[in-house]
Formats: sequence, structure tokens, C-alpha cells
Amino acid sequence: MTGRHATIWIMCLVMAAAWCAWQIGGGHTRIDSDFISLIGQENPDDTGKFNDINAVRHILAQDSRQAIFMVSAPNRDRATNAAADLAGRLSWINGTEKVTTPDDRAGRLPELMAFLQPHAAALLSPQDRKTLLADKGGQIYQRTVQNLYSPASTVNARSLQQDPFSLLPQYLGALAGYMGEGGGVVSQNGRYYVPVVASLDPRLAGSDRDAQWVGDANTAVNALNRNSDINVTRTGQVFFAAAEASHAKADVQRIALLATSGIVFMVGLVFFSWGPLLAALITLASGILAGITAITIIFGTVHAIAMVFGSSLIGIAVDYALHYVSIDPARGSAHQRLRLILPGLTLGLLTSVVGFAALSISPTILLTQIAIYSVAGLIGAYLTVIFLLPFLPVQPVRNYLPIRRSVAILQYVQYRITPPTWGRLSLVVIILAGFGASTFFIKGDDNIRNLGRGNTDLIAQTNTIRHILGMGASPMFLRIDGPTAENRLQTEEALRTRLTPLLKNGALDGMVTLADIIPSQKRQAENIDLVKTGLYQPYGPKLAAIVPVDLKLPSSATSSFLRPDDASLHVLPELANLQSGDSDLVRLRGVQDVSALKNALQDIDNAHLIDPASAISKLFGQYRHWAYLALGVAMFAALVLAMFRYGLRDGICVFGAPAGAVLCALAGSFALGVPHNFFTTMALFLVFAIGADYVLFLAESRHSSHDQDTSLAVLLSLISSVLAFGLLATSSVPLVSEIGIVIAIGLIAAWVLAPVMAGRRSANPAGIPDAQQTNPDTLMTKDGTADDQI
Amino acid sequence: MTFARIMRSLLLAGSVICALGTPLTVHARPGVVALEKNQYLRGDFTMNRHLSGFNDGLKSQGEFVLVPGAGLIWQTNAPFPGTTVLGPGGIVNIDADGDRTRLGTGAAQFGIFVDLISSVLAGNWSALENRFHVEFSPPGDTTWQVKLTPFGESAIGGQITDIIATGDTFVQQVRLNKPGGDFDDITLTQQHAENLPLPKEKADLLPKAASK
Repeated sequence: MTGRHATIWIMCLVMAAAWCAWQIGGGHTRIDSDFISLIGQENPDDTGKFNDINAVRHILAQDSRQAIFMVSAPNRDRATNAAADLAGRLSWINGTEKVTTPDDRAGRLPELMAFLQPHAAALLSPQDRKTLLADKGGQIYQRTVQNLYSPASTVNARSLQQDPFSLLPQYLGALAGYMGEGGGVVSQNGRYYVPVVASLDPRLAGSDRDAQWVGDANTAVNALNRNSDINVTRTGQVFFAAAEASHAKADVQRIALLATSGIVFMVGLVFFSWGPLLAALITLASGILAGITAITIIFGTVHAIAMVFGSSLIGIAVDYALHYVSIDPARGSAHQRLRLILPGLTLGLLTSVVGFAALSISPTILLTQIAIYSVAGLIGAYLTVIFLLPFLPVQPVRNYLPIRRSVAILQYVQYRITPPTWGRLSLVVIILAGFGASTFFIKGDDNIRNLGRGNTDLIAQTNTIRHILGMGASPMFLRIDGPTAENRLQTEEALRTRLTPLLKNGALDGMVTLADIIPSQKRQAENIDLVKTGLYQPYGPKLAAIVPVDLKLPSSATSSFLRPDDASLHVLPELANLQSGDSDLVRLRGVQDVSALKNALQDIDNAHLIDPASAISKLFGQYRHWAYLALGVAMFAALVLAMFRYGLRDGICVFGAPAGAVLCALAGSFALGVPHNFFTTMALFLVFAIGADYVLFLAESRHSSHDQDTSLAVLLSLISSVLAFGLLATSSVPLVSEIGIVIAIGLIAAWVLAPVMAGRRSANPAGIPDAQQTNPDTLMTKDGTADDQI
Repeated sequence: MTFARIMRSLLLAGSVICALGTPLTVHARPGVVALEKNQYLRGDFTMNRHLSGFNDGLKSQGEFVLVPGAGLIWQTNAPFPGTTVLGPGGIVNIDADGDRTRLGTGAAQFGIFVDLISSVLAGNWSALENRFHVEFSPPGDTTWQVKLTPFGESAIGGQITDIIATGDTFVQQVRLNKPGGDFDDITLTQQHAENLPLPKEKADLLPKAASK
């Protein structure tokens, strides 16, 4: 560990910093905080599940781009004017792509008419089709004639040529009903409600800008709500995401401030020097830098969750630094002190690296990213301790503090309670049995609905909008598979027939399929034949007598059919919501009776009911199982390493400390009602890695002169880790709080178990009762004698 | 649609004269006088619909009833009997046999017609000005003219080029010019304001709550 090594390592860190700045600052590697992009990145064998997740991803991505506002006022004009005002304000917000009001939707009419009129005979509304099937074309003829003389008629010279029986307006009206657009303005209980829909820039989702957009939108809403007669409500994923992020951010900021202050205070108080503090900071920074460098070299896009979990390795990296700075400078030169801790440090690193590397055995990109970040980060922190820390000034623990004395007392207590080898082996057996029992008693709960804090105000507004306008979140949908687009469209037509009773009896509020917008070619051909035989042939001459229009008989043989192609997508962008890869999606509104829906779908093989929340929960369930497996592999690797280092029995005992900590965290959090999911399992990983460090450091030093220094380092490490992670338990966001609870319980258990399972140290380390040596400074230089050697 | 908006606002002016002895709301611009809350307006119409490329227009005659806040009843007597009701719930066609057909159920595209009419029924020029450039001719002794041109980006702009309304105390003539050279000429006669409630046969045509 010469100055040359240090120089080379500093150059490496500088280059890494430059690389990270270029990659992330220059936008070459994207930090993706979009939750949606996390899912669907796997390659599971089950194609069906893969398609489900892909479809969920598609749906969520589409929905995340929409924010829905509902403006209400006591009269129509006031409501529409306020809606126009809101639309204007929203359109100026950075990140708004388009704002749509009922007026704007009406403005699409000419374009839709122009595009669809050539296909008018093929596009029948369900009611018109039913009328023609019942051979009651006369009713449509009557309507046509009346419409010719209506003040609100949209009839013009062109429509008369292409759609003389005005079938298209009926079709468009039915279409709007399917899509839940309502009539634009809704009147209910003496108030008028106007929807305003903002389409958001797709780059907004998952970026920091979404919070800014929500803030600006809320300002616009509040400006209108200041009018006593106007009320604006809102819904959309962007609002929920921003609310959750805001709570989580506020909590984490508060906790980070407390934790940082606490750690700085602790280090400052114990060492009364900036050296140890700087050592800890450099170690942390280089660990994070190494992690980011590795992950940006390998991946073009890094997910924020991977960054957050990867960064949690600071809890381990800070231990490395504390382990070094806690060695009394009186024990020799910097390099001599380093050599004292190097075996424990190396073993701790190996165990953690093996543990985190085990995460990469899963097929999930997220876990692989966490694994690579953590492994590289830990190695970076380790190398910094070896190469750089010996060059930093160190100070012994201040003698005026009772901390050395406290450590000595604790060591004595631990000595008294440490059982003999058979007792510790028995404890390991009990721990293993505990794991076995936990598989029976502790069940996973991967429901993602439980992760967030929930925002009752937003939920209430969402329900109001859904109730009044029929718009907003509709979590369930159907995935329609089929070899061809035509095949899928026909399935959807059969599906509508099948679900019509549910729509009538209220089991389902509404649905929209691609076939509702673009019927299958088979259906279009049928429609053309119906129109020809039921309208044109019997009533065409009568109509021609009123309007001198040149009627051309439609023919299914010569007509071109409307298809779900790019041209249709251009005019009807809503189609994007109804397609995902080679599948079609059927959007459902207000599923009131899931079992009735499932029953109705039973014998339609190509239709699959998907609940996004359940699908994502299942995915996280799979992640959790992979994490369990990786944890098992890590523990086994730790056992092998410990046995290799300490022999069979002692190795098993050493392994028992982190394993026991994990079990305590598992059982303790279960007792406190913490649900076990992927994220809490990742917290167990951290418990295991830190717990392994504790016991390995202690085991390596138990017969050495720096035994008490190590005990002090472990105590300081516990305090810093509990400050960093334990305070998370006070968060109001369930996910953050649950992780904090698991880590806090686990680390305290690890601290208690580590000296016990590391084996007895000196016969009387503190010498308190017998030797009556009360001067800690004296104790520091006293080598322990081996007792109860394994 | 938009014509109805114009028509209503202009028709409202008539109520000022007809409802003698009742307080009137007179707006700052010509031809805009609101009906009282408990009044409706009725009259006769003649509509000539000219479609580009067709030599003969479509001519119809009938009567109308305008109820602020409730809707417009447009009853065609010739050449074919039939009724169109434009109300807050949408547009409904009623044929000679009394069979009702809702047009464009739930479609915002059609709801816009009703919205515009409601704006006019409320006698609210500011609502019109949100969608139209409104030009008032200098007031003469007895007649006036209003020209409404939709904003280029507005929803109605794709369907109506402009609207020209003329009248005195009531709207007498409305021309709706449409893209492609189509236009409607509507002449309103025999207009007078009456106190609610509507006669039963008319009230039955409107949504129940609104006809009271």
C-alpha cells in the first residue's frame, strides 16, 4: 500500500468520476425512475405471463400520459368557460403535449367524417345493425328524412353522396359512448361537469419533471378553485406518482438529515477529528462511484430502484472505514494497523460480494443491476480503505468519553453469555429450524397496493370523476390473442355479444374493443350487404325523390375495408390504447362483478382477463422468490467461506450470526405485521451482509490486541447503520418504513449475535469483576487469552 | 345549432316587448335581451337548406319553442312531419308516430350543438365570444345585424364558416354559411314570449325536469 498505489487508485477514481459525469451528465446513460419501464424486462419461459406484463406495461404507459380534470359549475356556460380557462393554463405548462375539451373533440368531427365516410356502409352502429337485421330499414329511412330538415343536421353535399342515410353520425355516437367520453358536458344534481384531458409528453413519466408538471397543474387548478362556484377535481397516474414521490422524498430527506447529522456528531464526538469523518466519506463516495461506473459501463439505462438499493451499500462501506479508523493509532503505523484488519475486511468483502453476486442469478434486469452496483461498490470501498485511508490522519478515541468503558462492559457481558461450542452449534440448529418454520408461518405479500401511502383526497377525486364522467382509472383489461388482426377482431365481436348481458345488468359499466371502432372485415362485409338490401334497394329511390342524389349501391365485393393500420391510427390515436404488439387490448370500465366476468370469459380461449395490480404484484412475487434463492445461495457461500477459514464447527457458528440476524429480522418484522415482499427481502440482504461483517470482524480479532477496537468499530457501525436505515422505520410511506423496520431489527440482532457466535474471547476481557481493573486505557493494551478454543 | 344560439339570443329580445310590466335584463349590445326565468318563446320558421351541387334546396316549414335552460323544440310540419328536440341531454328526433331516436348518443361531437344552444338560451354573449368573432352592425332605427365568425381553431370552425343574423326586437333571419358552399337560410315569424309552464303536448317533448 504505497503512495504509488494510492496515486493509481486516485487516478482510477478521477477517471471513474469523469466517466460517470460524461455518461449521466451527457445523457449517454439514462437514469430511469419510471416504474413502468421496470416491468416486462424479463425473459420468462411462460410466454403468457410475458405477454401479460407487456400488455400491462403498454396500458400503464398509455394511461400515465393522461391527466383528467373535471370542472364543475352551477351553470353550463360557467363550467365550459372555466374548462376553457383551465385548458389554456394547462397547455402552457412544460410537458403538456395537448389539452382536449369537449369542444376540441367536437372539432375532430370533420376529420373523422372525411376519413370514415367512404366506409360509411360498412360501419353500422349496433342499433342500426339491429334495426336492419330486424328488417326495419324504414325506421332508418324516416330518421334520414327528418335529419335532412333538422337544424342540427351535419348533412352536407359530400355526406349525401357518400353516406346518404346518415349512418356515420350514429356510428360515431355509439363509438363515443363506448369510449366513455360521455356527452362532453354532464349535468347532475344541479351542476354541470366538463372534462378536460391533458395528454402528457411521454418523457415526463418517471422524470423529475413530472413533479414540476403536477405542481404547475395544481397551481392552475387552485386558481380556478378560488372561485366559490367552481370546483376542479383531477385524476391520473401522474398525480398519484407525484404524491407518493413527494411523501417518500420528504420522509427520506428528513431521515437523511437526521442520520447524517447523527453520524457526523457520533464520529466527531468519538474521535474529535475530521480525519475519521473524511475517511468514512471518501470510502462511501468511492464505493458509490465504483458502483455507478460499473453499472453505466454495462447498461445503457439504469433504473433508479437499482441505484437506491445499490447506494444502500453505504451501510456496509461505512463499516469498512469505521473498522479501520477505530484501530488505536498506538498499535503501530498505518500499514501495520491496516494489516490488523485486512483479513476480516477481506473476508467481509468476499462474503458480501458473493451474497450480492448471487442476486445476478435471477433473470431480472433490476436484480442484476443491483448486484453489479453492489459488488463493484463494495470492491471500490474496500480498495479505498486499503489504498487511501492509511494516508489520512487518525485520532484515537477520546479518553474523556465513556465509550471505551462501555465497550469493555459490553464485551464482558457478551463473554458471560457466550455459550460453549455445543451451545452455539445448538443455536445454529435452532436458527435453521427457525428458517424452516418461517416458511410455514411467514407468507409473502406482494400486493403493490400496500407499498404506497395512498392519497385519500386523490382517490376520492378519482372516484368522483369516474362516477360522474365515466372516465379515469380502469385497472382491469382483457388481452385478446390471435394469429391475425382479423381473427382478433372477430374474437372481440364475439366478446361484446357475450358481455352484453353484463353491461345491461351492471356487472360491467362499460368496455371498448378495437372491433368497436374498426369492425372485422367479415362484419364490414355483412354490414355492407345489410345496408344494400335493407336500405338502398327499398328506400334509395324514395330518398332520391327528395334529394336529387346519385345513389350508388354499395357492394361488399368491391368496397375497400377499413383496417387497423397506420392511416387509421393517425386519425384515431385512441387505437394505440387498444393494441399491444401482436395482441389487442379490451379496456373495461367499472368491473363490478369480477366472478361474473370470469364466468362469461370461460370458454373464450383467446381472451385473458388481466388486472395490472395483480400482474405487477405477481411479478414482484417472482422477484421476491429470486431474492430468497439468492439469499440462500449467499448464506451457503458464507457458510463455506467461514468453514474454510475457521474450521467446521467454528465456521458453522460464525455463519450462525448473520443467519440468525436474518431470521430475527424476518420473525420480528412478521410479528410487527410488516408484509414480506421483494423490497423487504432486499433489506434482509443488507442485514445479512452487514451481519456477516460484524461477526467476521470480531472473529478475526478475537485473540488479537485490537479486539476491543473491533468491538468499538462494530458498535459505531451499528449506531451509524441504525441511524441510516433504522430511522426509515419512522417514514409515513409503508414501503420505506417496512424496509427500515426489517433493517433495524436485523442489525440489532446481528450486533447481539456477532460476538456470541464469534466465540469466546479473552477469559475476562474487561476484567471488571475479578481483576478490578477499571482503567480502559490499561485494558486496551491487554491481549486476551484464548478460552474455549474450538 | 349555432344558429339556434343566435336565434335564441335574438328571440330573447322579443320577450322584452311581449312581457310588458315585467323587469327586463338588457345587455349592452344590440339585439340581446334575456327572457325572464318563467318565460319561453314560440314562433314559426321556414328553413331553406342549400347543398352545393344540388339545384334544388331542401325547404321545410314548422314551428319552434324555445325554453331557456331546457332546450329547443323544432317541429317540422312540411314537407314531412317530425320533431327535433335539442336539450341538455342531447338531440332527439321524434317521428310522426312519436317514436324517438337519440342522435349521436353520448358523442361530444353532437353535444357541442346543445352546448351552444344553451349558451344562447342563457343570453350570454360572453359564451359566444369564446367561440366566435362577434361583429355588431351599427344599430339602426329598428333593425340590426350580427355576424359571428368561428375562431379558426374552434370545434365549430370545421362545420360553420359564419353566421349572419338580422332582426329587430326578434331575430328575423339567420344564415348559416358552411364549408363547401352549403348554407341554411332560416326565417322566423310570429314570435312571441309566453309564460311557463309549457302546454302539455310541448312539455312532454322536453326532459321532465326542464319543462317545468
